[in-house]
Amino acid sequence: MSESKITTKTICYHCGEFCEEETILLEDKFFCCSGCQLVYEILKENNLCTYYSFEDSPGKTTKNKAIGFQYAYLDTPSIAERLILFKDKNSVHIRFHIPKMHCSSCIWLLEHLSRLDKGVLENQVNFIQKELFIAYDPKITSLRKIVELLDRIGYEPELNLEQIQQKNKKKQSRVRIYKIGLAGFAFGNIMLMSFPEYFSGGVYTGEDFRKIFGYLNLLLAIPVFFYSANEFIINAWKGIQQKIINIDVPIAIGIIAMFSRSTYEIISGTGAGFFDSMTGLVFFMLIGRNFQDKTYNWLAFDRDYKSYFPISVTRILKNNLEEPITISDLKVNDRIRIHHQEIIPTDSILLEEFASIDYSFVTGESTPVSCLKGDRIYAGGKLIGSTAIVIVQREVSQSYLTQLWNRGCEKEISTSYFQKISTAISKWFVLITLTIATTSAIYWYSLDINKSINAFTSVLVIACACALALSAPFTFGNMLRILGKNGIYLKNAFVLERLADVQTIVFDKTGTLTQLNTANISYHGDEISKKELEAIKSLAACSSHPLSKLLVKHLNSLDQKLCISNLVEYFGKGIQGTIDSHQYILGSSNLIQDSNHRDLNKKKLTSIFVKIDNRVLGSFQFTNHYRDGLKITINRLQNNNYNTAIISGDDEGEKIVLENIFNKTADIKFNQSPQNKLDYIKQLQKQNKKVLMVGDGLNDAGALMQSNIGLSISQDINNFSPACDGIVLDEQFNNLPALLNFAKSGIRIVIISFLISIAYNIVGLYFAVQGNLSPIIAAILMPISTSSLVLYTVLASSLKAKKLGLTK
Amino acid sequence: MTIEKFNYDNRIVRNFAVATIVWGIVGMLVGLIAALQIPFPNLNAGPLLTFGRVRPVHTNAIIFAFVGNGIFMGLYYSLQRLCKARMFSDKLSKIHFWGWQSIIVLAAITLLTGHTTGKEYAELEWPIDILIAVIWVLFGINMFGTIIKRRERHLYVAIWFYIATVVTVAVLHIVNSIEIPVSILKSYPVYAGVQDALVQWWYGHNAVAFFLTTPYLGLMYYFVPKAANRPVYSYRLSIIHFWALIFLYIWAGPHHLLYTSLPEWAQSLGIVFSIMLIAPSWGGMINGLLTLRGAWDRVREDVVLKFMVVAITAYGMATFEGPMLSLKSVNAISHFTDWTIAHVHVGGLGWNGMLTFGVLYWLIPRIYKTELYSKKLASFHFWIATLGILFYAIPMYWAGFTQSLMWKEFTTEGVLRYPNFLETVTQIIPMYKLRALGGFLYLSGTITMAYNLVKTMREGTLQANEPAEAPKLEALTMEPSGHWHRWIERRPIQMLLLSLVVILIGGMVEMIPTFLIKSNIPTIASVKPYTPLELQGRDIYIREGCYTCHSQMIRPFRSETERYGEYSKAGEFIYDHPFQWGSKRTGPDLQREGGKYPNVWHYNHLIDPTTMSPGSIMPAYSFMETDDLDTTSTGPKIRAMITLGVPYPKDYDKIANRDLQKQADIIALDLKKNGVGISSRKEIIALISYLQRLGIDIKATPISDTKVKL
Amino acid sequence: MSVILILIICSLLVSIGFLAAFFWSVNNGQYDDDISPAVRILNDDEMEDIDLTNKNK
Repeated sequence: MSESKITTKTICYHCGEFCEEETILLEDKFFCCSGCQLVYEILKENNLCTYYSFEDSPGKTTKNKAIGFQYAYLDTPSIAERLILFKDKNSVHIRFHIPKMHCSSCIWLLEHLSRLDKGVLENQVNFIQKELFIAYDPKITSLRKIVELLDRIGYEPELNLEQIQQKNKKKQSRVRIYKIGLAGFAFGNIMLMSFPEYFSGGVYTGEDFRKIFGYLNLLLAIPVFFYSANEFIINAWKGIQQKIINIDVPIAIGIIAMFSRSTYEIISGTGAGFFDSMTGLVFFMLIGRNFQDKTYNWLAFDRDYKSYFPISVTRILKNNLEEPITISDLKVNDRIRIHHQEIIPTDSILLEEFASIDYSFVTGESTPVSCLKGDRIYAGGKLIGSTAIVIVQREVSQSYLTQLWNRGCEKEISTSYFQKISTAISKWFVLITLTIATTSAIYWYSLDINKSINAFTSVLVIACACALALSAPFTFGNMLRILGKNGIYLKNAFVLERLADVQTIVFDKTGTLTQLNTANISYHGDEISKKELEAIKSLAACSSHPLSKLLVKHLNSLDQKLCISNLVEYFGKGIQGTIDSHQYILGSSNLIQDSNHRDLNKKKLTSIFVKIDNRVLGSFQFTNHYRDGLKITINRLQNNNYNTAIISGDDEGEKIVLENIFNKTADIKFNQSPQNKLDYIKQLQKQNKKVLMVGDGLNDAGALMQSNIGLSISQDINNFSPACDGIVLDEQFNNLPALLNFAKSGIRIVIISFLISIAYNIVGLYFAVQGNLSPIIAAILMPISTSSLVLYTVLASSLKAKKLGLTK
Repeated sequence: MTIEKFNYDNRIVRNFAVATIVWGIVGMLVGLIAALQIPFPNLNAGPLLTFGRVRPVHTNAIIFAFVGNGIFMGLYYSLQRLCKARMFSDKLSKIHFWGWQSIIVLAAITLLTGHTTGKEYAELEWPIDILIAVIWVLFGINMFGTIIKRRERHLYVAIWFYIATVVTVAVLHIVNSIEIPVSILKSYPVYAGVQDALVQWWYGHNAVAFFLTTPYLGLMYYFVPKAANRPVYSYRLSIIHFWALIFLYIWAGPHHLLYTSLPEWAQSLGIVFSIMLIAPSWGGMINGLLTLRGAWDRVREDVVLKFMVVAITAYGMATFEGPMLSLKSVNAISHFTDWTIAHVHVGGLGWNGMLTFGVLYWLIPRIYKTELYSKKLASFHFWIATLGILFYAIPMYWAGFTQSLMWKEFTTEGVLRYPNFLETVTQIIPMYKLRALGGFLYLSGTITMAYNLVKTMREGTLQANEPAEAPKLEALTMEPSGHWHRWIERRPIQMLLLSLVVILIGGMVEMIPTFLIKSNIPTIASVKPYTPLELQGRDIYIREGCYTCHSQMIRPFRSETERYGEYSKAGEFIYDHPFQWGSKRTGPDLQREGGKYPNVWHYNHLIDPTTMSPGSIMPAYSFMETDDLDTTSTGPKIRAMITLGVPYPKDYDKIANRDLQKQADIIALDLKKNGVGISSRKEIIALISYLQRLGIDIKATPISDTKVKL
Repeated sequence: MSVILILIICSLLVSIGFLAAFFWSVNNGQYDDDISPAVRILNDDEMEDIDLTNKNK
C-alpha cells in the first residue's frame, strides 16, 4: 500500500482517501467524511465488517456526490417496469449497473445485501460487467428501498435513460474463446502424435502407425482450419476484395499452404505434414488477438446524451397534480418541475421569476447563468437553487444538447488490424515471399518437379507471417493494460497507433487545463475584520451557489457558525441576511448595484461583492486555478515539437496567464462555441495535421469526435464523459507527454520485432528453398520464434512504461 | 422465485474423516514396519509379513485408503457447499462409504495372503478390481447428480478438478485392469511385456496425477481460501491451470520407463510432456501460495494454514523434481534407487499428508460446532510431521545417490569397484534406519492428531444435518446467457466432436484385437514360452512380491551390462503376463539370473539368504520347502495363456502337469545329488526352475541379429 | 507397440470429452465473470466476523 505517502495526512478507513476538509475519529478509525463514517456504521451494526478484511479501505468516497438526489420516481410502476427484468407476485428480478464496484470487498458486500434488507432474496455480482443481479420480494421491500440502500452504502446504481433504452444488452461474443479452446486442444494432441515422427526420425513403428497418426492429425486439424482459423482467411479475403493487402493475407496464405500441403502429404503417405506447426500458430495468433481485443467493457467510451439524463422528471398535470414521467415521453408544452441540482432534460421556457443555471457541462463555462421568466433555457444545464417550473419547447431528441451530439463526425473508423504499419509491411512481405517461392519453384522445376512444388509450399509454410500477426497485438495489448492500470483508458489498440503520429494538440480550457471546483480567490477592497469574515462565511454557507461553496472552502480556516436572521437568497445572484444587527449582502455586481435591469450578455460573475449595511466593502475575485505542473507539461510537449493550441468557451480574461504558460507559439482562441471548436479542428485537419483533442465537457464532444484522437479528462472514470477515444484520469494529465512518447516507442518495438522474425524466416527459408524443409524444423522454429517475439514485445513495452514513469 | 431450505450432510463427511484418520495410522504403521524390515530382516515374519507382501499393503493403504478417504471427505464437504445442495443421494453416499472401506479391508487381506497381480499400485485381483469400478461409478453418479441439482450456477474450479478425477481414474483403472481370470483370485493381464509395462505406467503415472494430484488441487482451491478467509489469488489463473493440466497430464506416463526396452520415441514423448507439466503445476502452486499474501501473520498463528503452506510448498518441490527425474541424464542416476522413494514421499507426506491434516483440523471443529481441543497439540503435530518429512527425505536422497554412484563406479582397471551388489546395500543401511525414524516421527504426529480430534469430537456434537438455504437455480439462469438452445445452435462443433468420438471408438473396436494378436507373435526366434513349472514358479515370484526389490530390466549402461549381463530386449518379454521389470533395486537385477548359480545355491539362499551371502537383508522363504505346489491350477493357467496368444501346442493344458512333474523331478534329483533331499512337489522347486530360466533364451543368440519389431 | 494406440485413443476420447465440457462451460457463461466466484465461495456458511485490517498495519 502507499504507506510512504501518508506520513503526515491520515487516510480514511473506509475510502482510503486523505482526510482533507474534516477528520472524524470513531473507535480508533479515521473517516474523511460523515458519508464514509455512516457506511461504516451501517456495516458495523449488521456485522458485515469482513468487508474491510479483503482489501484495505475498499470503500469509495461519498464526499462530492450529488446531493438531494431523488429516487421517488422508482415507486412509479410505469417507470419501474422499464427497469426490471422479470416480475411475479412474490419476486422481482432486476440488474443494476454499478460503476463503483471495484474489488473483492465490493463483491462480498453486494452479495450480502440480504443482511441489510430482508426483502432481498438473492443477489449475484457480475464483476466483469460491473453488474448486480437482484431478486427481491416486493411484499417486503421495494425497488426504491433497494436503490436507496445501495446509494447509502456508496454503490449507487447507474440509473439513466440509457439503462431503459437497452435493458438486456447482450453479452460479449464467446466465439473467440471456442476457437482458442479448439485450437489448443488440437495443438496438444497433434503434437503428441507428431513427436514419434521426430524422435524416431520417422523410422519408429512401421507404416501402420505413421498412417494412423497422420490421419488422426488430419482429423484434428480440419476443425482448426475451418473453424478456428476462419477469421484470418475471411479477413484476408475481405481485404483483397477492397484491394488492401492487410495483415491477414500473408497469414491466410501461410495457413492454407500448411494445411493443403500437410493434407496432401498424409493422404499420399509421403510425409507427416505440418499440422502441429499450423495448429500451434493458429492457437498463438488467436491468443494474441484476444489479448489485444481486451477492452474495458464496463467503461463506455461512446455514451450519448441518454446516459447523461435522469430517467424521469416531475410533470405537472392540468389539475396541478404531479407525476414522475420518463424523459423520453416528454411532449412539447408539458409543464415540468425541475429540482435543485437536476438537469434540464430538454430546451424549454422558464416560468419562474428567476433561476440560475449551471451550463458548465454544455459550454464549459464554470459560472452559472441567471435567467428570468420567459427566458429560453437549454437542455444540459443544471438548475441551481430552488425548484423551477418550465414548459417543454422541444422533445428530448430534438434538443440543442442532442444536436451537439449528432453533430457531423467524419472520422474514418479503422476496420482491419493495424492498417498503417502492418498493411505497409505485409504488402512487401507477401510480395517477397511469393517471389522467393516462385523463383525457387522455377529453379527446381527443371531438375525435379516434385521438389519444385515442395520448395514452393515450404517457403509459404515457413514464411508465415506469425511475427506480423503476433508482435503488434502483444505489444499494443500489453501497453493498453499498463495504461489501464494507471488511469489512462484507451478505447482500443489502434488509438495507440494513431497517437504515435499526432502533431498538433488542442486543449479545452475549463476543466482540462484548470482544475474543476477549485479556484484562486483573492479579496480586493477595504479591510474586513475576522468577525465580518466569519459572518460572510456563515452567510455564504447558506447558499447553494457554486461560487459560495468555493468561498466557504476558501474560508474554512475560521470555523464557528453565526446565527442569521431574515435570510433571503436571490438565486444565482446572491444572498442576504442579518447577522448581529448588521445586514450582509453577498452577490454579483448587478445585485449589489441593485440594478434590476436584466442583462444576459453580461452574465459572467467571477467575483462576489460584499455589502454590509448598504456599504460595498469590496469583492472576492475568483480566478481559474490551473493544474499544478501544467507549465512543465506543456513545455515538455512543445519541446517534443508538438504544436499546441487552446480553444476555450470563456472570454479573454485569462489570456495573459495562458500566454505565459503556452508562450507565443501556441494559438489561443476564446469565446468558442462547440461548433467553432469543431470547425477549428476540421480546419487544422485541412492542413492535413493529425490532431489530438484534449477536452472534458460536452461542449468539446464535437471536437473530440472530429479530431484524430479525442482524449477526455475526467475526475472519475465512472462520471459522464463525452464520446472519445480515451479517458484520462484527472491526476494523469501531466503524463500526457509520457503517453505520446509511449505510443511512439510502441511502434518502434513492433518494427524491431518484425526484424527479429525476419531473421527467423531467413533461417527457415534457407531450408525451404532447397525443398527439404522437414516438419521438425518447422516445429522447432515456430515455437522459438513466436515465444521469443512475444517475450520481447511484452518485456520491452513494460520496461519502456517503467522508464517513462507511467507505472505507479 | 422460491428460496429452498435444505441440509448439508455432515455425517458422511465425518465418516470419511474418521476413515481417513484410522487408515492413515494403519497405512503409516505398515509403512514403518516395512521400513524397519529392511535394516532388520528378522522382522520378516513367515509368509504373511514378508517385505514383498507388506510393501504393497503400505502403498495401497496410503494411496487408496488414507488419501482416498481424504479426497472423499474434502469432496463431500466442499461439493455440497459449492453446489448449494445436499448430496444427490444419501443411500449412494452410504454405499460409497462402506463399499470403499470393504475394498480396503479385502485389499489388505488378499495382499497379505499373496493374491496380487504383481502390477504396482494395481496389485488387487480382478474381483476387487470390479468392485472398485462399481463403487467408483456409483460415486460418480452421486457426484454428478449433486452437480445437476445444484443451486449455484457457476461451477467453482474445484468441482472441475473433482470431475477430472472421477472420469479419468475410471478410465485408467478399467484400461489397466483388463485381465483374464484364471481362478477366483488369480488372473493374467491381457497385455504382455513391453505393452503391459507401457499400460501399467501410463496408469501408474496418471494414478499419481489424477488420484494424488487433481483431487487435492481441488481441495486446495477450496480449503485454502476458506481457511485464509480470502479469495484465491487469481481465479482466472486457476481456470487456466485446470484446462492446461487436463490436456497435458495424461501423457507423462512413459517417463517411468526411461532406458527400458520401451521404444526410444515413446520415452521421449514421456519426457517432453513431463517437462511441459512444470508450467501448470507451478501455476497452481504460486496461485495457492499467493492466496495467503497479506495473511502471513495469520499463517504464523493459524496451524491449519501452516499445514497448508507446507503442503503447497511440497507440491511445488515434487512437481519440479518430477520433470527433472524424467530427464534421461538424471533418471540414469535416480532410477531403481531410493531417490525415487524420497521423491514420492515428499509428495505423499508433504503434499497429500499435510493438506489432509490441514483440512481435518479445519473441518472437524466446524462440523462439530466447537473449538479445536488443543491448539498446542496441533502445532506439535505440525512440527513433528515437518521434522519427520526431513528425516525421511534427506537420508533417502543420500542413500539413492550413494548407491547409484557405487553401482556405476569402475576401477582404473575398468572393472566394477563394487562387483558384489550387497556392498552397495549394507553401505546405506544407516540411512534406512534414519528413514524409519523419520517415518516414526511422522506417524506419532498423526497419532497426536487422532487424539486431538477425538477429544474435539467428544467436546462438540456432530451437526449431522447443517441447515442452509438458497434460491432455485432457475432464478439466476434467467439471465440471457447460458440457454441450452444456444448450445444446439453450435451444431457444427457438436457434430464434429460426435463424429470424432464415433470414429475413434470404431477404430478401437477394429484395431485392438488385431493388434493384441499381432504383437504377441514372437519376434526373437529363440524366445520360448515358459514351461508349466516355470510358469508356476513365476506366479510364486509374483505372489511373494519379489518385484518390490528385484528388477528384471538391465539398462544399456556399461555398469549394468558388466554387472548383470546383456541388456534387456523388448522381444524377451512377449510371454510375460504381467511384466516384472520392477521399479526399485533393493536387491540385484534378476533379468539374467538363469544359470548363474546351481540349483542348490538358490535352494539354500531361499531358505536362509545369509548362508549364501552373509549380511543379506532378504527375507528367508523357508516355508516354501514345506508348502506343496498347487498343480490343479496348471491347466487353467495354460489355457488362459493360450487364449492370450502364447503358442503352446493345442490342448497342451491337458498334459501340462506331466511335463511339470518331469521338470520338477529333474531339479529335485539335482538337489539330491548336492545333498539336499526334498520332494519335487514343493513350491521352492518351481521357483528355482523359474529363476534358472530367467534371461537364458537370449544368451544363445548374439545381440546384433536380434531384430526387435514391435 | 500397438498398445500405445489404445492408450492414445483412450486419452483422445477423454480429452474430447473434456473439450466438450469446455465448450459447454464457456457457452454456459461459466467464465463470463472470472473474479466473483472466488469471493462467492467464502459466503456460504456464516463467517465469523474477524476484522483483519488493523493488523495489516
